[in-house]
Amino acid sequence: MVTDTGVLYTIEGLAAGVLMITTAYLVVSSTMVFTPGDTHIIDMQLEQLGNDVLATMDTPVKFGEPSPLELYVMEHDITNFSTHFLLLANTVSQPGFGKIKFNSVIYYRKGTIFDFYHFTDSGDIITGREHMVKVTRRVFVEDASNLPSGPENRTQSVLMEVTLWRD
Amino acid sequence: MEGLDGEDGQWIILMGLIISVSIFILAIIVNQSILVGQTTSESVLDFPKSEIQDIRSEVIRYRNTMVDPYPIQTDIEQLTLFRKTALVNISNTSDRLTIHYNNGVTYYHEIIQI
Repeated sequence: MVTDTGVLYTIEGLAAGVLMITTAYLVVSSTMVFTPGDTHIIDMQLEQLGNDVLATMDTPVKFGEPSPLELYVMEHDITNFSTHFLLLANTVSQPGFGKIKFNSVIYYRKGTIFDFYHFTDSGDIITGREHMVKVTRRVFVEDASNLPSGPENRTQSVLMEVTLWRD
Repeated sequence: MEGLDGEDGQWIILMGLIISVSIFILAIIVNQSILVGQTTSESVLDFPKSEIQDIRSEVIRYRNTMVDPYPIQTDIEQLTLFRKTALVNISNTSDRLTIHYNNGVTYYHEIIQI
C-alpha cells in the first residue's frame, strides 16, 4: 500500500543532510581564518619589517665595532644608508623597483631642547595620502663632529625615526 | 494525513529547535573568528617589544665604550619621554645595570649583573 508517510521523513532527511554538509564545511574551513582586510594587519607587518631592518643595520659586523647604522649617522652618509635600507626593506633584488618608500629624521637633545634634522628619504614626492607607519631606533653617536649643524659635538644617543609606506 | 499521528509533529518541532540552536552557536563561533586577525595585530602593534630591545642594546652598547654614561642616559630618557611617551630610567653602576621602562600599558624592569 502506498502512503505519504515517507514524505516528511524525506524532507527532514534532506534538511539534515544539508545541515551536516554545511557543518562539515565550516569545521574543515575553520583552520583557515579569513579576516577582513583591516589596516591593522598591514600596519603590523610593515612596522615589524621596519624595526627588523633598523635592528639589522644597527648590528655591528664585529663585536665592539660601530654598526653600519652608527657609521651612516656619524658620517652623515645618506647615500649608503638609503641603499642599505631599501635593499633590506624590499624583497626585489633589482634596485629601484621596490615598493617600500621611507623618510627618516633624527631627533636629538641639546641641553633641555629637543630638535630634529632631516636625514634622508627615498626620493619620492610625498602627497600626504600615504598610509605610513613609524619605526624608531636609538643610534649611538660616538663622534659627533661630522653631524650636520644642530646637535652638540659630544658623544650622544640620537633617535632615528623612519616613516615607511608602500607605494 | 494518514502517516502522521498526534506526536509526530512534536518531534519535528523539537528537532527543528535543536538544529536551529546548534546553527546559532556555530554562527557565533564563525562570527568571532573575524576578530582574530584584528585583535592579534592590535596587540602586536601595542606591545613595545622593539622599544625594549632597542633601549637594552643601546645601553649595553654605550656601556662597552669608555665614555661618560650620564649624558647618554639623559639623551635616552629624555628623548623617549619626548617622542615615544614612555618613562625610561637607567642606572649604571660598576657591577649592575638597571633598565626600567613604562609606557602606561607595559611595564618592564631588568637588572643585569655584570
